[in-house]
Amino acid sequence: MGFKLSNIEFNDIIKELSKNHKVYAPKRVESRGRFSDTDLILYKEIEAVEEIVYDKKSTYSPKEIITPITQTMFYFNEDGYKEANIDDKKIVIFIRPCDINALRRLDTIFLKNGDTEDYYYKRLREKVTIIMIECKESFENCFCVSMKSNKTEKYDLAVRISDEGVLCTSNTKEFTELLSKYKEVDFKPKFVKKNINVVNVPNITDINKEIFNHEMWDEFNARCIACGRCTTTCSTCTCFNTTDLHYDDNPNSGERRRTWASCHIDGFTTMAGGHNFRKDNASRMRFKAMHKIYDYQKRFGENMCVGCSRCDDICPQYIKFSSTINKISNVLKEGGKDGK
Amino acid sequence: MENNELIPKKHKILDVYAQTDLDITYIVEYHGPLVVGTFLQVSIPRVGEAPISVSDFGDGFVELTIRKVGTLTDEIYNLNKGDYMYLRGPYGNGFDINQYKNKHLIVVTGGTGLAPVKQLVNYFSDNKNEVKKFDILLGFKSPKDVLFKDSIAKWKKNANVIVTVDSANALKTWDDKEGLVTEFISEFKVKDIDEVEVIVVGSPLMMKFTVLEFLKRGIPKSKIWVSFERKMSCGVGKCGHCKIDDTYVCVDGPVFDFVKGETLID
Amino acid sequence: MSLDINTKKLTKNAYRVTKNRNYTALRVRVPGGAINAEMLSIVSEIAEKFGDGSVHITTRQGFQINMIPLDKVDEVNKYAKKLIIGLEINAVHPENGYPAAGTRNVSGCVGNRECPIAQFNTTDVVKRIEKIIFPNDFHFKIAVTGCPNDCIKAHSQDFGIIGQADVEYEYSRCIGCNACSKRCKKVSTEALTPKNGKIIRDSRRCIGCGECVLACPTSAWTRNPNKKYKLVIMGRTGKINPRVAMPFIEWTTEKIITKIILKTYEFVDKYIDRTLPKEHIGYIVDRVGFKEFKNFILEGIEMNDGAKISESINFGGYFNDKDRIFKTY
Repeated sequence: MGFKLSNIEFNDIIKELSKNHKVYAPKRVESRGRFSDTDLILYKEIEAVEEIVYDKKSTYSPKEIITPITQTMFYFNEDGYKEANIDDKKIVIFIRPCDINALRRLDTIFLKNGDTEDYYYKRLREKVTIIMIECKESFENCFCVSMKSNKTEKYDLAVRISDEGVLCTSNTKEFTELLSKYKEVDFKPKFVKKNINVVNVPNITDINKEIFNHEMWDEFNARCIACGRCTTTCSTCTCFNTTDLHYDDNPNSGERRRTWASCHIDGFTTMAGGHNFRKDNASRMRFKAMHKIYDYQKRFGENMCVGCSRCDDICPQYIKFSSTINKISNVLKEGGKDGK
Repeated sequence: MENNELIPKKHKILDVYAQTDLDITYIVEYHGPLVVGTFLQVSIPRVGEAPISVSDFGDGFVELTIRKVGTLTDEIYNLNKGDYMYLRGPYGNGFDINQYKNKHLIVVTGGTGLAPVKQLVNYFSDNKNEVKKFDILLGFKSPKDVLFKDSIAKWKKNANVIVTVDSANALKTWDDKEGLVTEFISEFKVKDIDEVEVIVVGSPLMMKFTVLEFLKRGIPKSKIWVSFERKMSCGVGKCGHCKIDDTYVCVDGPVFDFVKGETLID
Repeated sequence: MSLDINTKKLTKNAYRVTKNRNYTALRVRVPGGAINAEMLSIVSEIAEKFGDGSVHITTRQGFQINMIPLDKVDEVNKYAKKLIIGLEINAVHPENGYPAAGTRNVSGCVGNRECPIAQFNTTDVVKRIEKIIFPNDFHFKIAVTGCPNDCIKAHSQDFGIIGQADVEYEYSRCIGCNACSKRCKKVSTEALTPKNGKIIRDSRRCIGCGECVLACPTSAWTRNPNKKYKLVIMGRTGKINPRVAMPFIEWTTEKIITKIILKTYEFVDKYIDRTLPKEHIGYIVDRVGFKEFKNFILEGIEMNDGAKISESINFGGYFNDKDRIFKTY
């Protein structure tokens, strides 16, 4: 069962939600792209369905709503600490199936890994309502099918947006009630069935020690520039730095913050005193690749990478992560010997 | 805010004494259970946080030995008795003392690597009937880098202790050994390999070569214990800095047997 | 048999008087050096049909079609008409060939049609300027370049228009990776300094090269979509005093720059020494003085917020004629 709403009607729903939610969706930000006169597609607050870019992939993933790029943890002064507040409003996110699957990876790291749930993640995550943007067809580079993240049922509302209006269906009572006054139609969201980009994901039991030291990684010393774009656009990268700062006009007060970090960027493994565990770009590439398709699965039971391919879309050096996965598979097939 | 364990708590510094030109030991008021080999996140608000190994603990206090290596430790250096430092933790698995009871225990450390095992060494030195044999090999860069001199003097009475420095700089008063720790491993006579437990803690390079020496002598990987030092930041398995392979050093370690330790390729 | 030719008219029609008697060469304007295959084939057609098949690519991004018999000029102009129309050159009677040659082809780097570093579409700006200033007999050289790298050598022009990225920093998007500050230090002016895991920008140092935007992995640095330009003026080569063009206005708009260029035509009209066969604008400014020039051309122009105008300029360069500075006794 589903409903068909005109854009005007759907905008009433957005308006209704906006009373106690911040409504986020991929939105075009004109001329703010890396190159002049190119656009970015970013997750931003929206007021109308027409603002949603539904026919293109967002440059960055929606993770920045729940794990903000910069997040103040607490403020301090001579007397002690004061926890940073967050907005009272709840959160609605228009999000694609691969990114919904990516959300589970974030949940795993922040809520399940270690002995504790992450306080700062949890308080934002709890607020989230998910509206799934239907992805009928794959974009360039996508390999969600190979990563088994093309499908999901984890949504509160699923929508097919078009210029003519919105088709939707809901898994929750709240949305079904909200939609009940609109025209009922048959609607079930479709999912991407096939990507042009097919990736052979290695079986984790086939991964051996040799692959870590294999010369297939060496080329990345020359190719990768360690800019970190693949990780900042990645929907599943979660690493962060913690930094303190004090205010210039009052050095006794300041704050502690979290900011995104990247295993590709200098300093990620540098300890006080200067020892750096992964200096060269090849080992950083290997570290990231193995995390995405091997060790995360070893620990948590599913691969981390969801195949959104934002890393492939953005790499200024044309390094294609999906090809890297295929290379790993090929090397393993050849028994971990010379992969050339 | 009560359930926000990432907010550090204020702890009073009870005593401070210098170990070397660069290492200072702080006795800090602390109540709560601790395990040898774990670490605390030490904060100076405004400056930052760093993981510091627990070098000793007792009723109402924790001992932290801190080496001056960066901005934060520079700040910590300025703290005196009566000042406060901010702590959260403890984090990590630590050493399981029972693992070593009734065994031939060999402890090899390099530099500040002694701090995380100091309490364990103390324990077996005080309770020497709980180990079959106790060998201690402590390496330092030079005579002026030797840590915990009083403790070492005490251990020498109860165990076979070798102290060595990379270079004694022709110091006449130096009457211990000179050379890398790896050069002295042959001095430990192992009667029964099944009874041996080895603990190696130090810099990544020191651990690599020391472990190699023990492996050469037929000590099984499962009987060699190492403590990894990584860029621990959140301490609770979220921030990703200390992950190696599928292991989060802050929650799964920092102490590993070498069966695991060997698989952790950075 | 020698021809009877008005060489003044000939040169204004964009033909050169060459060393080869009875032969001329046609100069084809290609604004911004942007040409398509069809127009290129017309150039080649003229060269084959009328010339000796050789074409010289000029430094101003035009073509000089060589060895055209002087008595074929009218016929060649019929072909040139296709170029004039195809390349959108202003001409009331395109069948008569180019209406002027004094104001030179406006040159431009490839700009952001292809170049990742360029701040704007240089070809579009070139075409707009060409439309406004041409035809004119006054000797003006203008070049447009996408970024401070100045690949078109705008610094050797009377007017060099250089794209400036008006960069904006979204504090909360910055992850403190320092990619921008490292890049700025390495390739530009060290206008960015890391502080507390974020970046401080010294606007006095920033030249708007946009490298920070290119380097940033989180799009914390972006460009304000309102384009900004730097105008460098009075650069030149030549026999008397070669010199590099100097910054006149920074962080200004295309509209203001266009107005300034147009006002400079008025300035030249007022001050040019008509006893000379031609006088370059730079020498007129030297003669009249920068203050007078500045007052004249800025009169009535309302500056945009944030524009920076040079108070005085020391043009420098060097003088081949030492008597201008050294007095011989």
